[in-house]
Amino acid sequence: MRRGVLPSLAVLAVAVLASLAFGAGDVGPLRAVAVVLGGGDDDARFAVLELRVPRTLVAVAVGLALGLAGAVLQAAARNPLAEPGLLGVSAGASFAVVITIAAGASAASVGPAVAVLGAAAGCLLALGAARLRGTGDDPIRLVLAGAALSGLLSAGTSVVLLLDQRTADEVRFWTVGSVAGRDLGTLGEVGPVLAAGVVIAWLVARPLSALALGDSTARSLGHRPARARALGVAAVALLVGGSVAAAGPIAFVGLVVPFLARALVGPDLRRVLTVCLLLGPAVVLVADVASRLLVRPYEMPLGVITALIGAPVLVAVVRSSRMPAL
Amino acid sequence: MTATRPATAPATPPPGTWRVAAGGRSVLVDRRAALAATVLGVLVLLVVAVSLAIGTARLSVLDTLPAAFGTGETRDVLLVQKLRLPRVVAGVLVGGALGISGVLLQTLARNRLATPDTVGLNDGATAFAVASIVAVSTSLAPSALALVGAATAAALTLGLAGGAGQRGYRFLVVGLGVGAALGALTQLMLARAPIDAANQAFPWTVGSLNARAPLAIALLAAGLAVALPVAVVLGRQLRMLRLADAVVVGLGLRVARVRIAVIGVAVVTAGLAIAAAGPLGLVALIAPEMARKAAGPRSVAVVGSALAGALVVLLADLLGRTVAAPLELPVGIVTAVVGGPYLLWLLLTTRTRRIP
Amino acid sequence: MTSPDRTTGPDPTPGADLRTEQLNLGYGEARVVHALDVALPAGRVTAVVGPNGCGKSTLLGALARLHTPQSGAVLLDGRALATLRPRDVARRIGLLPQDADAPDGLTVRDLVRYGRHPHQGLLRQWSPEDAAAVSQALAAADLHDLADRPLDTLSGGQRQRAWIAMVVAQETDVVLLDEPTSALDLGHQLEVLELVHDLARAGRTVVLVLHELSTACRYADHLVAMLDGRILAEGAPVDVVTPALVRELYGVEAVVLTDPVAGTPVVCPIRRVPAAERTRQPAPA
Repeated sequence: MRRGVLPSLAVLAVAVLASLAFGAGDVGPLRAVAVVLGGGDDDARFAVLELRVPRTLVAVAVGLALGLAGAVLQAAARNPLAEPGLLGVSAGASFAVVITIAAGASAASVGPAVAVLGAAAGCLLALGAARLRGTGDDPIRLVLAGAALSGLLSAGTSVVLLLDQRTADEVRFWTVGSVAGRDLGTLGEVGPVLAAGVVIAWLVARPLSALALGDSTARSLGHRPARARALGVAAVALLVGGSVAAAGPIAFVGLVVPFLARALVGPDLRRVLTVCLLLGPAVVLVADVASRLLVRPYEMPLGVITALIGAPVLVAVVRSSRMPAL
Repeated sequence: MTATRPATAPATPPPGTWRVAAGGRSVLVDRRAALAATVLGVLVLLVVAVSLAIGTARLSVLDTLPAAFGTGETRDVLLVQKLRLPRVVAGVLVGGALGISGVLLQTLARNRLATPDTVGLNDGATAFAVASIVAVSTSLAPSALALVGAATAAALTLGLAGGAGQRGYRFLVVGLGVGAALGALTQLMLARAPIDAANQAFPWTVGSLNARAPLAIALLAAGLAVALPVAVVLGRQLRMLRLADAVVVGLGLRVARVRIAVIGVAVVTAGLAIAAAGPLGLVALIAPEMARKAAGPRSVAVVGSALAGALVVLLADLLGRTVAAPLELPVGIVTAVVGGPYLLWLLLTTRTRRIP
Repeated sequence: MTSPDRTTGPDPTPGADLRTEQLNLGYGEARVVHALDVALPAGRVTAVVGPNGCGKSTLLGALARLHTPQSGAVLLDGRALATLRPRDVARRIGLLPQDADAPDGLTVRDLVRYGRHPHQGLLRQWSPEDAAAVSQALAAADLHDLADRPLDTLSGGQRQRAWIAMVVAQETDVVLLDEPTSALDLGHQLEVLELVHDLARAGRTVVLVLHELSTACRYADHLVAMLDGRILAEGAPVDVVTPALVRELYGVEAVVLTDPVAGTPVVCPIRRVPAAERTRQPAPA
């Protein structure tokens, strides 16, 4: 266990510091570090304390949520390719928000609850479409169903945006994932939702890890697979819904983080979850810092970076011998 | 050892097929598939006639087909040939190509959800086309770049996947990743582009039959002329791939070659279609479904899927032009709106995803 | 069932000379079959036996051109299989692999039809020969009445016969069968084995992988015993199967009796020999 936790902690610490030190604007690392140490000029103080700290905190929350959600979803679906973005969970959340705004609500009044419901619907649809039964399920079925669903929801979102200009303006923020410009207020709103998700994920970790043996074996060991899965879905919905409400849909984090965690500590779900708590924020922070630095003075949206990192990881998972059907 | 057999034994075709033979050569045609294709063909002709008739100036349906060939009142002929026929022809070709691509990929993967949309072809084409409009200035038309984009996405996918994999699965999943990355790039470009350029690039994100480059259409027609017979042959071989790999190799089929060929033809037809009309989602999904329901599970209905694809695109275009007149909804929007719920229904109600 | 009469069978077919030459097979780094030389007697039934993992299925696969040799070759009439076109190989060698799988709803006739593929072409999709071969194969497997039934509605034995009928329709000189009876009960096993025996009597070279030693002795003219990718013993069952062989092959101390019905060896196990004991010299037969 030590093998995984310490390096992850170290990486997280470095990532947090980097997030505070670097930015797209004028405040360079030296001035930023001065602020952290207690001094620094006014501009630097503003940049670090008013902009970067909140952004870092939001990124940590989002990374944590998506990393955990990915691990839980993969256990519930028994599929290392199950990722909230790929499966349409994030798309479901965005779509729900877009529909609500188009139906008349203003962007400000839409809270995370809508996103959570949308995420839950997306998750249930994807899992339902794949018709999970015992072991020997075709893992690709789920992935294709999820891709179809996510494509469907994106298309639906585009259609609504096309027909409703007002919504399009208000909703731009929800359709492209980014932690830029997010403040502590957002964090305050989604905090409780995320916390609930983390708690449920923790409670359901042991039953879910037994699912890896197949439903019948798990049942003969005294677990209740259906209930474990349902709780898993609830956790995923809360975590992803909250994350989309805070930062829009960010894909692939839920794929990359559990993949790295499993490489560090093996397949046991509880260990993986612990490491995801640390690696999730680290990955998102690293991606966010990259988004600030790659095209200075502009910023690349976070979703683009995570997709660019995630695609090779997807390829790596596919090419690893662990998926015999491939 | 060949058994000695009377040379005059009849060649009774297997039940459900017709045998067409001449001088030592013979071809088997599945009865139900042939009938389905005929019915679909007739439907396509009908919808073509109706499509040519409807518009800001209404023509009688009976006049449209002759007008398309040049007979009738000059005014009608002009209207039909110059304005509407190109659009309708484009629709038929695009739909046909997407239908072929869809049926090939679905049969290969034995999964109805395996379509060129899922594999990143659309995303690749869109990314390159959008890039040519908003980001990079080149002298090549967006259509050409769309084709390059689709080909690049496919090549990238095939290269990263290291081959087709069983049932083409590796190709499909890696295609998802590549598609996502390219989609992200498109989002980036659109977000940073000035509003005019973004609006100009918009049709390339959604699929439309409006004012398409004639060169792209011509290229599509040529490609389809070659691809259709090849696809029919591949369809026969794909039927055999439904058996276990070891059996099929024992029967003398070069399995890996067939898989690559299927993916190749699917990519080329879809790529040409996207270059001509932009990313038209869901056609490649729905058309083979329709064809399969009509033709039955025994054959791989390549011709039927092509015709069904043409039908879907034409109907969607017709709907888009009439439902919100005088506003014109792009075909891509209509297929998304109508196809979407159908896809959802498909996802939730079918018991197995296997194609028999 | 009376003892199959092999001494007065028809002459072996010319041109069914199948042998291997220093064949090395493996997956990646692992070597499964080592420098194997074996000649499969034409027109006879050869059974390949051995413990799990000894390489018998892999060998059969190589004979059917499923696996590319790492070195060495499989020779058909003196020519290496790798130099022949797949279709030509398929016209001479037919394979029924283990776990042969077919989609739901496929009928028996459809399956048997597939067997004609090597003889067909793009413009020769159905000829009188094809029709005759299919109907002869259905008759040989006694499936004429079940021809239009879907495979998944048949019993295990009937389904296996349908698969064999497919290979029969292929009209090859060599028929390779990988564990054709593993999941079948006694009655169905006999169904299949009698059909296989008829094939050999009609002059084809039949090579069977069997996991049951006594069955192999009863139905095979020639036995090849493999261990760890090498041939341990080869010859007529009555000559080859001794308690020493059984002990070395399976780690089982056994008594070898003579089957009162067929006159072939029958293996009756006494006990499993623990690994420690196996290093000692085996007791004389």
